[in-house]
Amino acid sequence: MAPMADDNAMVRRQRLLADFGEFALRSENLDEILHEACRLVAEALGTARAKILEIQEGGQSFLVRAGIGWDPGIVGELRLPMGEQSSESYSITAGRPVIMRDIRAEDRFSVPEFMRAAGVVASVNAPILLPGGKAFGLLQADDTRPREFGQEDAEFLRTYTIILGPVIDRLLKLGQLRLAEERFRLTVETALDYAIFVTDRDDQITDWLPGAAAVFGWTAEEVAGRPGAVLFTPEDRAKGEPRKEVLTAMEHGWAPNIRWHLRKDGSRVFIEGSLRALHDEAGELRGFLKIGRDATDRRAAEERLRESEERFRQFGEASSDLIWMRDAATLGFEYLSPAFEPIYGRSREEQLADNTLESWAALVHADDREMVVQRLLSVRDGARANFEFRILRPPDGELRWIRNTDFPLPDQSGRVRRLAGIAKDVTEEKASAARLEVLVAELQHRGRNLLGVVSAVAGRTLGQVGPVEHFRSRLQALSRAQGLLSQSGSDTVEVGALIGAELEAYAQAEPPKVTINGPKVRLTSRQVQNFALALHELTTNAVKYGALKGEEGQLSVRWFIGQTGRGRRSLVLEWEETGYEVPPEAGRRGYGRELIEKALSYALRATTDYRLDAKGVRCRIELPLA
Amino acid sequence: MPDAPGPLAGCRVLLVEDEYVIADEMDGWLRQAGAVVLGPVPDVDGALDLIEREAGALDVAVLDANLGDGETAYPVADRLEELGVPFLFATGDVRLVDEPSYQSRTRLEKPVTQRGLVRALQSLVPPRGG
Repeated sequence: MAPMADDNAMVRRQRLLADFGEFALRSENLDEILHEACRLVAEALGTARAKILEIQEGGQSFLVRAGIGWDPGIVGELRLPMGEQSSESYSITAGRPVIMRDIRAEDRFSVPEFMRAAGVVASVNAPILLPGGKAFGLLQADDTRPREFGQEDAEFLRTYTIILGPVIDRLLKLGQLRLAEERFRLTVETALDYAIFVTDRDDQITDWLPGAAAVFGWTAEEVAGRPGAVLFTPEDRAKGEPRKEVLTAMEHGWAPNIRWHLRKDGSRVFIEGSLRALHDEAGELRGFLKIGRDATDRRAAEERLRESEERFRQFGEASSDLIWMRDAATLGFEYLSPAFEPIYGRSREEQLADNTLESWAALVHADDREMVVQRLLSVRDGARANFEFRILRPPDGELRWIRNTDFPLPDQSGRVRRLAGIAKDVTEEKASAARLEVLVAELQHRGRNLLGVVSAVAGRTLGQVGPVEHFRSRLQALSRAQGLLSQSGSDTVEVGALIGAELEAYAQAEPPKVTINGPKVRLTSRQVQNFALALHELTTNAVKYGALKGEEGQLSVRWFIGQTGRGRRSLVLEWEETGYEVPPEAGRRGYGRELIEKALSYALRATTDYRLDAKGVRCRIELPLA
Repeated sequence: MPDAPGPLAGCRVLLVEDEYVIADEMDGWLRQAGAVVLGPVPDVDGALDLIEREAGALDVAVLDANLGDGETAYPVADRLEELGVPFLFATGDVRLVDEPSYQSRTRLEKPVTQRGLVRALQSLVPPRGG
């Protein structure tokens, strides 16, 4: 039986417990405390050896965490498996002390080899339980002499481990807390893109992390004690934004902080972040945590992209030509400017609803379809293409000419990702070009014909007596007719204008000698030339021999719309000279009269009735109109 | 009554020209050269009528390609081709006789000269015996 501990021993043990408690309060080093615990236990129990085993690897093994009286190779080094048979495992599982009085005679438990090797004969242990009941390990005292560890010894160990448990727990938690804090500090100090700082409840800056210094340019010393508002722009300060943000965070726990901020140097930085209210455990406001990311570059890039897209969109929207883009893989449209609708006669929505090459190609004239598709495929292969094709424009199938300028849009690797192009409706342009071609040909024809006419008139006129003056005046008559044609711009000349130009010199005479009267009738270019020649001959005769020669004569020119014997509309012109003395042989000028009587009737199917009698000249011309 | 047989003596020439003054002048030139002028006529209908009336007694033709108001002398040319009658174009309109089927034909550009017209016709008509 174990001898009863005497009073002295009891008092000594009490004192050792108190000493340990005092030591544990002062120390924050777990290894130091565990070592001291072993030392005091050995002293109290009067053994040379004591150790603490810590459960590790989630309950797979023990580590000799601390010890006294053991070789250096054991403490902090030796690991033991947590075998079913060991007294140590049993102690943990049962949650109570185990006493082995003589290991050599022990048959309940297996004994670890290192203990036998060290000559341990007697042993007592007790489990160390953390608050909550989880086991940390055990405290064990060993003796190399046979020893009757008594129940009091076991109770002492139990009392000791009960004190040890909370002490270990506190230090373990402290260690974890320090680790977490260190991790947090490393994290926030390394994140230089993130401005992080803390303000007190009055929004005065208290903590200023390196990221904040990098983003805002202030050092921690410079900014400490300043209000958080120092980072706001003057505009936002004027609007009271700093205060609003603080109030929002107080009310809702946090406030978004996405705005332009001011750097120390006055430049601006766009921050995306938030302001969070910090409270202590009692729920009392302690201050604010502000975290924000420098988004200036990204925002500027987004802004540029937006502007670029906007510019492109405006360009496309404003263009009267169609601007389009196709995906190179599907050949479906990716973009169609609004001009698609007037040019193709189909809404963009409708086209994009069935966004296939086929649905577009169906609008193309069947004769051009294969060519158009081939051109598109060649652009996909990297070529540029410029071509014209016809479409049948819905809804009425009107034929329109389209001119396409297509080009490939490669990506950075040079692969054609998109096809783009500009399409223009050139129907009017082509029609106008065709008209122009006809017009040029017509002008050429007319010019050469006119030279032929002049040449013929010259031949005939110069063959007569005293002719140069006559030739010049006939040439002037032709020239006037041509002038009127080019002025009218419509390739027609009004009868009144033609007569007015020929008789201009006489129409203003006082008292009046000439009356001109008739409706508006237009003559074609072909009619004008011969009509002008005939009028000129009539006028020349009137000036030389007739009503325009002296003071007395009167000339009346009037015209109206009539009808030929075949029922066609016609121009009827009546030329009447009266009130003068008709000279004998007057009006016998051969070529002039020939022109009057034949030139009009020849190609224009006009009929001319020229009479000269004692009263004067009367000429009636009837010219079929188109 | 011609004083002496001209270069185109007795040659029967169809003259199609819509411009009176020019037609009149060419008519004079051809007569001076001894030709018998059929026409002149200003349009296709008149020319075709004349061809039918004179069929077989036609040696050569002078055609103004552009007869005004969009009318061309091509139908006349085609009919003459069928009959084997040689002809030439007198025209101010280069484009018209660029039509492929008439490109090989003799072409006189306006304004036409008397010498040019007579020579061109001489080259088209085989010399007469006697």
